[in-house]
Amino acid sequence: MDWEEIYRRIENVRLAIEQGFQPTGEALQRILGERAKILAGGAEDKSERGEYLEVAEFLLAHERYAIETRHIREVYSVTDLTPIPCTPPFVFGIINVRGEIVSVIDIKKFFDLPEKGITDLNKAIILQSKDIEIGILVDAVLGVRNIFITELEGSLPTLTGIREEYLKGITKERQVILDAEKLLSDRRIIVDEKVQL
Amino acid sequence: MGSKEEEFQKRLLSTFKIEAGDHLKTISAGLLEIERMESPEGHLETVETIFRASHNMKGAARAVNMRDIEAICQSLEDVFDMWKQEGINRSSEVFDLLYHSLDVIRMLLSPLDGKEITIDGNKVSNLIERLSGIKTMRIYDTISFTRGESLLNKETILMSDADVVRIPLARISSLLLQAEELLSVKLLSSQHSADIREVADMFEIFKNELKKVCSKDESFNRVEGHIKSMERRLLTIKKSVQQYSRSLNRMVDNLLDDTKMVMMSPVSTVLEGFPLLVRNISNEQGKAVDLIIQGGGIEADRRILEGIKDPLIHIVRNCIDHGIERPEDRISLKKAEKGTIKIIVSQLDNRKLEILITDDGMGIDINMVRASAVSAGIISQEEADSLSEYEAMSLIFHSGVSTTPVITDISGRGLGLAIVREKIEKLNGSIILESHLHRGASFRIILPLTIATFRGVTVCVSGHIFVIPLINIEQVIRVKRDDLKTVENKETITLDNRPLSFVRLSGVLELTNIKRKTEDQDFIPVLILNGLDKRIAFGVDEIMKEDEFFVKGLGRQLLRVKNIEGAALLGSGKPVPVLNVTDLIRSVLKGSYATPELMAPEEKGVKPGKGSILVVEDSITSRILLKNILESAGYSVKTAVDGIDAITTLKTGDFDLIVSDIEMPRMDGFDLTAKIRGDERLDELPVVLVTALEKREDRERGIEEGANAYIVKSSFDQGNLLEVIRRLI
Repeated sequence: MDWEEIYRRIENVRLAIEQGFQPTGEALQRILGERAKILAGGAEDKSERGEYLEVAEFLLAHERYAIETRHIREVYSVTDLTPIPCTPPFVFGIINVRGEIVSVIDIKKFFDLPEKGITDLNKAIILQSKDIEIGILVDAVLGVRNIFITELEGSLPTLTGIREEYLKGITKERQVILDAEKLLSDRRIIVDEKVQL
Repeated sequence: MGSKEEEFQKRLLSTFKIEAGDHLKTISAGLLEIERMESPEGHLETVETIFRASHNMKGAARAVNMRDIEAICQSLEDVFDMWKQEGINRSSEVFDLLYHSLDVIRMLLSPLDGKEITIDGNKVSNLIERLSGIKTMRIYDTISFTRGESLLNKETILMSDADVVRIPLARISSLLLQAEELLSVKLLSSQHSADIREVADMFEIFKNELKKVCSKDESFNRVEGHIKSMERRLLTIKKSVQQYSRSLNRMVDNLLDDTKMVMMSPVSTVLEGFPLLVRNISNEQGKAVDLIIQGGGIEADRRILEGIKDPLIHIVRNCIDHGIERPEDRISLKKAEKGTIKIIVSQLDNRKLEILITDDGMGIDINMVRASAVSAGIISQEEADSLSEYEAMSLIFHSGVSTTPVITDISGRGLGLAIVREKIEKLNGSIILESHLHRGASFRIILPLTIATFRGVTVCVSGHIFVIPLINIEQVIRVKRDDLKTVENKETITLDNRPLSFVRLSGVLELTNIKRKTEDQDFIPVLILNGLDKRIAFGVDEIMKEDEFFVKGLGRQLLRVKNIEGAALLGSGKPVPVLNVTDLIRSVLKGSYATPELMAPEEKGVKPGKGSILVVEDSITSRILLKNILESAGYSVKTAVDGIDAITTLKTGDFDLIVSDIEMPRMDGFDLTAKIRGDERLDELPVVLVTALEKREDRERGIEEGANAYIVKSSFDQGNLLEVIRRLI
């Protein structure tokens, strides 16, 4: 075995490694310049596009909708739904969320969204405000994303048939953002009935 | 950034607000007590208390740099100090000013809630000037005051330091919620215990049977060892499950009791503001009223107390507004010039709370109540005349009935007492009114001390489970179908030789009246329910069992639902509606329910076990929905998740009909239909396609492939589906 040869090779490798960590002045400038560009570019981009909404997208009867996450308390998998008789048609029933009873509604009926029949409603998005919490049943929750306000179009009610008052906006991809705030503060959603003699 | 410091400052301020609130309560309660004391002696202690409270509040205000509050407290302290030295200046002018200063402090505190209220700086300095003026006033008035119970709860003052921990209500409520949730675990464990006992019994029978049949067999000897060891294991498990269930029962019960104790507060916490309220309203109306409170130390669940607060305020307002006469009228009636309202709280022995509110005013004119009820169209004149005094008096709780001809901002609309009764009923309480003309009226409110579990019976109606509180159930019987008699087109049954109205619960609850296949069709399970002094027989599909439940609200969206009281959780965690029997009876009396379809000819055609159906559907919700609908209609149902699965299932059994979705993974509904039509054995099998596809070409393709019916999901209703199936089988 040629030990001399091995030592020499090891020494070469060591040098190569050390050099690899010390780029020449020119290379260094280039790398730093690129990084600066990326950082600066990001900031510029953000200020240009401005404020954004964080929304959760969901599927309802094969259509995509979104609701701002700031109104969402949690998403709950519905395993058991109890219908409540003597309630308006938009009320699906109640679910048990860790000992707390939450009512769930059919936003298609309430929002006048186009009816597409029976769907796979097994997720409840639980919306919450100071005065009320309410579940809306959806087929699937797709995820959370940011939508820049500048990207939002005003209302195009004829596009979907939804009542204009509950429309927060429509994105360029024709995604409908529902106005949860309006829904939660709408007195019509409250059921307060009794039997009068 | 200093945000940490800001955060700290914020916390400090909110702590101060709570502390200041306490001091304000102490001072206003103390002032009221002093104001109505008969003799100036003996309240030195109270003056000392309010002096100390204003002193402490002053110190705390200085610590958080609230200069205006500090200055007002300084002036209050000066006034109370003078009272200590020289005796109390008891003109109502002075007291008005003192209450006003407390109000100003409250206003100064309110921006801490985020509300923006700007207070003129002059207002504070003006107030301080007027407060210092008290020292120079020397008017001692001599109106006598009736003595009531001390409003300052000595015990809470003593306990206020080391032994008491302040916990936000929300946190306690969540704790209680979790403890209540354990009740369903307890129910479940009892269920398991019963199940395993049943299994053990079954095993015993199995063992004996086996012995009888083949004990002489040689093979029996081989398995005997296994059977013995299984039996031993089973008995050990049975024993430990039962033990576990018993100790869980005990632990859950204790935990619940203790948690309930945490929710207890003295009734006085609700009555705190009442003396001031009475003072203000009677001043506004130029009436003189004393309020006497007794039994404020009795404790009850905080949620009940919260619920009773508004009704109590309403009743007390009513007493002052309608009950107590003006001083000059009282004198001419030879009554004491000052009226008296008493609130007497007492604990009844059956874990109930009684609140009695009496006034010595003019009482309620029963004839005016009758007349008002007639003019509001609630009863007819003949009915009004035939009512007993007690029955007529309870009319006052109907909305629209009022004895005041003038509508004021306080009362007179005839809505108030209706709402009062409803709120009290919601708390599971009751309210009775007694009145003697010219001598006064008294409202007697009975409430539970705690929001307790209740015993209830679960029943099954049209495939839904409901809980009926045991307290409303008078009797549970089975009635022969043939014993139903129609009287004046209404169904009746006979109980103890007396006829009783009979209704189907499904009709009252507006449920579609689909018939279940019950084992003995000849009998209907019936509950005799009582409420509103009436008894009515309610027919159900099945009476399941009796258990212990909690009523929970239906959430903040469903504030009040007709016929439904709330929800209870079953052992499985499934929420079920608890029925409001009073409402049910009202609904029946009103006739606002679907007429029983018992005798309807088409219903008669429904036989139990009339066919087996295969449901093919990839969505779990739709699958279960369809299964439920069909099973409730008496069919036996199997399910498959797509076309391939359906083909396999079809090979394993005989079916009379297929209900299939169209859009499914692996094999869709069209292909499935084609496959069925292509199979010699199956080509007669009716196929119903249920789908979201609404296009004409889809429908045509469905028919082309050989489907017998095509139901679009968007126009889906179960009556329609059942009708189609009935025609095909």
